[in-house]
Amino acid sequence: MRHAKLAACSAAALLLTTACTAGGTASTGDAGGKPGYAAVADTALPAGGVLKLQTHVDIGGATGLDPQMADVATSWQLMSLVYETLVTVGPDFSIQPLLAERWETPSPTTYVFHLRDGVSFSNGRAMTADDVVGSLERLRGSGAVWSGQLGPVKSVTKTGERTVTVELDEPYTPFLAALANVPAAVLPVKEVEDGSVDLEKEMVGTGPFTVSAHRQDVSWTFERNDGYWAQGKPALDGVEVTIAADEAARVAALQNGRASMAVLGNVDSRTTLAGASGVEVADQATTDFYYLFTNTLKPGSKLADPRVRTALNLAMDRGQIAQVATGGLGKPTAVTPVGLPDACDPSALPSATGDLEKARGLLAEAGAQDLSFTLSVYSTRPAPAVAQVIQQNLERIGVAVDIEQMDEASWAGKVYAEKPEFDAALSWFAGYADPAMAMRWWNPEQAGFSSAFMRPNEELNGLIEAAGEAPAGAGRAEALSAVCAAVDADAQMIPLVTRPATLGYRSDAVSPGLYATEGYGNMLRLITDFRAKTAG
Amino acid sequence: MRLLLWWGGRAAISAATLLGVSVLIFAAVRMMPGGFAETVLGPFATAAQKAELAERYGLDQPLAAQYWHWLSAVLSGDFGTSMISRAPVTDELTARLPVTAELTLFAIAVALLAGVPLGVLTAVRARPGGGGAIGRLLSGLGVSVPEFVLASLAVFLFSRYSLGLRAGGHVPLTEDLAGNLRAMVLPALVLSVFALSATARTTRDAVLNVLVEPYVTAAVARGERPVSIVRRHVLRNAAAPVVTLTATIAAYLLGGALIVEYTFNLPGIGSFIVQAITRRDYAVVQAGVLLAAAVFIVMNMLVDLVVGMIDPRLGAEAGGN
Repeated sequence: MRHAKLAACSAAALLLTTACTAGGTASTGDAGGKPGYAAVADTALPAGGVLKLQTHVDIGGATGLDPQMADVATSWQLMSLVYETLVTVGPDFSIQPLLAERWETPSPTTYVFHLRDGVSFSNGRAMTADDVVGSLERLRGSGAVWSGQLGPVKSVTKTGERTVTVELDEPYTPFLAALANVPAAVLPVKEVEDGSVDLEKEMVGTGPFTVSAHRQDVSWTFERNDGYWAQGKPALDGVEVTIAADEAARVAALQNGRASMAVLGNVDSRTTLAGASGVEVADQATTDFYYLFTNTLKPGSKLADPRVRTALNLAMDRGQIAQVATGGLGKPTAVTPVGLPDACDPSALPSATGDLEKARGLLAEAGAQDLSFTLSVYSTRPAPAVAQVIQQNLERIGVAVDIEQMDEASWAGKVYAEKPEFDAALSWFAGYADPAMAMRWWNPEQAGFSSAFMRPNEELNGLIEAAGEAPAGAGRAEALSAVCAAVDADAQMIPLVTRPATLGYRSDAVSPGLYATEGYGNMLRLITDFRAKTAG
Repeated sequence: MRLLLWWGGRAAISAATLLGVSVLIFAAVRMMPGGFAETVLGPFATAAQKAELAERYGLDQPLAAQYWHWLSAVLSGDFGTSMISRAPVTDELTARLPVTAELTLFAIAVALLAGVPLGVLTAVRARPGGGGAIGRLLSGLGVSVPEFVLASLAVFLFSRYSLGLRAGGHVPLTEDLAGNLRAMVLPALVLSVFALSATARTTRDAVLNVLVEPYVTAAVARGERPVSIVRRHVLRNAAAPVVTLTATIAAYLLGGALIVEYTFNLPGIGSFIVQAITRRDYAVVQAGVLLAAAVFIVMNMLVDLVVGMIDPRLGAEAGGN
C-alpha cells in the first residue's frame, strides 16, 4: 500500500508539474548534426570539473556489485564508469575496440583478441591475458544471465602474452555484441582469486573512474582514474551520483542547478521542464521494448487458443501505443528491436494489417466472442499508459480488458510465481545490441522465467537458433525475418513498441555525448568525452 | 508504590504491544506478493540462485523458526542485515536517524511554536465575526491536505523560485549549518502543516474551555492582567490535551516523513523504509516498523509523565492515587 501511495505521489507530482507547464517544450540536446548522436560533447572545452548526476535507482542486488551478475541497465550504467570490456559498440551498433585493440575471426567459431598495451586496473596492476581468460571463464561458470548471452563458448585460452582465443561450439553472430556489455568486463582475476578483492563489495576495474565513496541508495562518488590507459581521458575529474527515486525530485534538481544531469523516466519530462532556464532534454532511442505476454498454461484460459492470440495481435495498434503512451518517442517493433541492423520491419508482419474483421472472425471461430481477461501491469510509467491503449485497442474487437496495476515487486511475485495465475501481463525487455539476442527469451527453455506460463514452440525455437548462427549479410536478415514472422504467428509474447529514454542536463554545467540509439541502456557510454562547464 | 505498579503495568502492556507489532510486521512482509528473491534477483534468476539466496538469509527456514531467530537477535540488539546493502540494519538506521530526527523535531518545533500561540490568540479573541470561521477553515485545510500534495507543490515552486531555500537534497548538519537549514526548512514546513493546524485547533478548543472556568473569571475580577491570566491560569490548565496531541503528532510525523523524505530526496529512515518495502528487504522493514512502534509507545508514556507533572489531578488518576 505504501508503494501504491508513493506511486500515487509521484504521479500527482508529475501531473502537477506537467499541468503547470503544459504548452511548451524544453530545448533539445545538441547533436550538431552528427549522425548517430543525440548529443555531442564539446571537446574544445577545458578538462576538469565534476558531473553531478541524479538517477532513480542504485545498483541494488542480492549479488552486490559483481558486474557479471548484474542484469539490469541501471546497474550497467554505473558499473561502466569503473569496468570495461574487450569491445564496445559504436553509434551504428558496429563493434569497436576497447580493451582489445583488434581481433580476428579466422573461422566462424574462432575469435582471436589482441589486448591493448598499457592497461591497468585501478589498483595499479597491469591487466594481463590471464585476467581476460579468468573473467570469461568465471562468467561462463557463474550461471548468470549474461553467460547465456555469450553463446556456445567452448573454450577461452591464453594464446600469447597479449592474445586470447575464444572457440565456439558453433557459429554465434551476437558473440561480439555480448562481449560489449558490462557483465563481460575484464576483472582483476588474480585479486579475486586470492581474496584481496571481493567483487560483491567493491569495484576494481580498468575504467575511467574509481569509487571513492558509496552510500547504498543515497550516493556514489567517483574520482578520475589517473592511470587510465586512454591519453587525456576522462576529461572530468569526477562524477557525483545522487540516487533520487522520485522523478519530481530529479526534475527539481535540474531546475535549481543541484544536478547538472538527470536520468528522466517520464516521457512527459520535456514538457515538465519547459521554460526551465538552461535545461536541455535529450531523448535517446533504445532497443528496449514493451511486450504483452499471455499465460497460455493457465488451465481453461482462452488465451491458450492460437486463434484468440492472433486476434489480439491483429487488434493491437502499435502506432497508437507509441504515439499516445510513449509521447511519440517509442516506435513499433517486432521481436528484433527496431533500430538494430537487420531488424525486421514491423509494418511488414501479418499482424500489422490491423484487420479487425478477421480478428473478430477468429474470436468467433474460437468461441471467444465475449472474451475478457485481466492485464497485470506495474505502476512504473509509462507501462500503465501502454496498458490503457491496449485496453482501447482490444475493445474494438469486443474484448474486455481489466487492468490490474500494482507495484513492481507485487507484479513480479504474481507473474513469476511457480504456478502463475495471471491472464496476461505487460513488461519490457532490454533489446541489447544485436537483433538475435533478445529473441532468445521467446524460447522458454532458454529463458527459464517464462517456462511457467509459455508453451514451447519447437519451430520457433529452431528459427531462433538458426538466426543466432546466421552470419552477417543478406542471409541473416532473412533468418531474422523468419523469427519475426514466427513470433507474430505464435503471439504468446507480443512485441509492441520500443521504450525511449530521456536525459535532462544543464547546458551551463555540462556538455555530454550521447548516442541516438543505445542497446544496453547506458547513457554514460561516452562519459570519457563529457565536459563540465563549471568546476565542482 | 501504586505509582510504581502503574508504571510497571504500562511497561508490560508496552512490551506486549511491541511483541504483537513484531508478529504482525513479520507476517505482513512475508504475506506481501513478490518475495525478495524475485524482486532483487529478477526474472532470469535460476531456482538454484534463488535457493542459495534463501539459504544465505535463512529464508528457507520455517516461518516460526525465522521469527524466533529474528526476535532473539532483536532482543540482543541485532536487527539483522539489510539484504540490499548487506550492512547491519542498526548501522543503516543509525546513519539515517539524524536526518529523520532533525526533520521531525524541526516540524514539531514549528507546530508548537506557531500552533500554540495561534490557538491561544484565536481563542482569547474569539467573538462573533472575529475570524474564527477563517481560522477553522485554514486549520481544516491544514489537516486535510496530504503531505504529498504539499511536498510536490513545494518542490515544484521552490525549484524554480528558490528564495534562498533548497528544494530537495540534503546537506549534513555537521558539514554546513546554513546549507543544512536551507535544505531542511521546506520539508520541515511541509511536514509541520498538519501538526501545526491540529495543534492550533486543539489549543484553541482547550483554551476556550478553560476561559469559562470560575477561576479565570475570578482572576479577571481580581484585575489580573490578561497576559498573566493566560500564562498562569489558562495555559497551564489547557496544556494537557496539547501535550497529548504532541505525542500523537510525533508518531504521525514519522509516517509523514516517509512521503516527505521521498519527495525531497532526504536520506532518512523514511525513504530507507520505502525503498526497503519496494524491494522486500525484510529485515529493514521489520526494524523500521518496530522502531516506529517503539517511538510511539515511549512518546505516550512520556506524555503520561509530563501530563501528570502539569496537572497532578490527571497524574493521580493515571497512577490511581
